[in-house]
Amino acid sequence: MSTPTPRLLLVTRSAPYGASLARSALDTALAAAAFDRAPGLLFLGEGVLQLLPAQDAAASQTRNHGKVLDSLPLYDVSQLYVDATALTHYGLQAMALPAAAQLVDAAAIRALLEGCEQILSF
Amino acid sequence: MILHTLSAAPDTPAFQHCLAQLQAADALLLMGNGVYAALVGAPAGQALGKACANLYVLDDDARTAGVAAQLGAGVTPVDFDGFVALSERYQRQIAWY
Amino acid sequence: MLGPEAFDREGFLRNLQDWSPSVAEQIARAEGIELGEGHWEILHLLRDYYAQFDSSPAMRPLVKYCAAKLGADKGKSLYLLSLFPGSPAKLGSKIAGLPKPENCL
Repeated sequence: MSTPTPRLLLVTRSAPYGASLARSALDTALAAAAFDRAPGLLFLGEGVLQLLPAQDAAASQTRNHGKVLDSLPLYDVSQLYVDATALTHYGLQAMALPAAAQLVDAAAIRALLEGCEQILSF
Repeated sequence: MILHTLSAAPDTPAFQHCLAQLQAADALLLMGNGVYAALVGAPAGQALGKACANLYVLDDDARTAGVAAQLGAGVTPVDFDGFVALSERYQRQIAWY
Repeated sequence: MLGPEAFDREGFLRNLQDWSPSVAEQIARAEGIELGEGHWEILHLLRDYYAQFDSSPAMRPLVKYCAAKLGADKGKSLYLLSLFPGSPAKLGSKIAGLPKPENCL
C-alpha cells in the first residue's frame, strides 16, 4: 500500500441510486472529514458502480452521486480503494477512476481491514 | 483478527464478500437472514466453516428462523451477552448485510 | 422581492430556480450584509461549486476551492469570515441560493 492505511474505513457495497446506502456512506465520509477524521473509502462489489463517470441525475431529480464523489479531494478524503475483482465482474476494467483511487485485490482488502482501527459498512 | 457479522442469506453478494474475507483466526457471527448458513448440511455453512473455525449464531435469530434445532456441528449459539463478549474479544468488527 | 413562503425556516431558498442577483441582495439584507464585489466573487464561486459537485461545500472544501480558483490570498478562512461572518459556508450558500451545507459545523 503506497499510503498508510486509514484509521477509519468506510466500506461501501451498494450502487449509487435506488437505495440510500451509498449516499449514507458518502455523507458519513464528508462528515468524518469535517471532523478531521478523513476516512478511507473502500468501494466493494456493487459499490464500484458509484464510480461510473457521466452520471446524470437530473432525470431522476436526485443528487448526482458521481459529482459529490468528485468533491472528496476538497474534503481531503484521498484514500480511495476500488475492488478490482468487481470492476472485472461488471466489465469496467477500463473505466477511468478518480486520481486517488487504488485498485485492491482480496489480499489488499484484507490488509486494509486489518490495518484500520474501525470499519463501518454501508 | 476480525469479528464478522453476517446478516444476509447465502445467495447474496454480502455472503460472498464475507466468505472472501474470512480467515482462520477470525470469528463469524451469523444473525438475521445469515442464520440460514448455519443449517446442518448447508454447503454455505460448510464453506464458512472451512475458512474459519469460530462460527457463532445469534440464538434468538436462529430460533425465529426455525434453524436452532438443525445447527451444523461447529456452530455455537450465543445470546446478546455472548455477542458483546465477542465484540470485546475482537478489536475490529465488520458488518456484512 | 420574494415572499416569506419562498424560504424555509432557516432562510434558505426552497426552490433553487427562484434565485437571482436581486434575491441574493434580499437574503443578504435580511442577514445584515451589504454585498460588495468581494461577496459576489464568492457567491459566483459557490454557485460554480454547486454546479460542479451537486452539493454545497462545508468550510474546508470551500477554503480549498477558493484557494484553487481565486488564489491563496482568498483561500483563507479569515478572508471568508470577513465577508460572511460566523459561518461563511452556510451563510454564503444561503445568499447564493443553494441548499444548506449538509456537513457544516
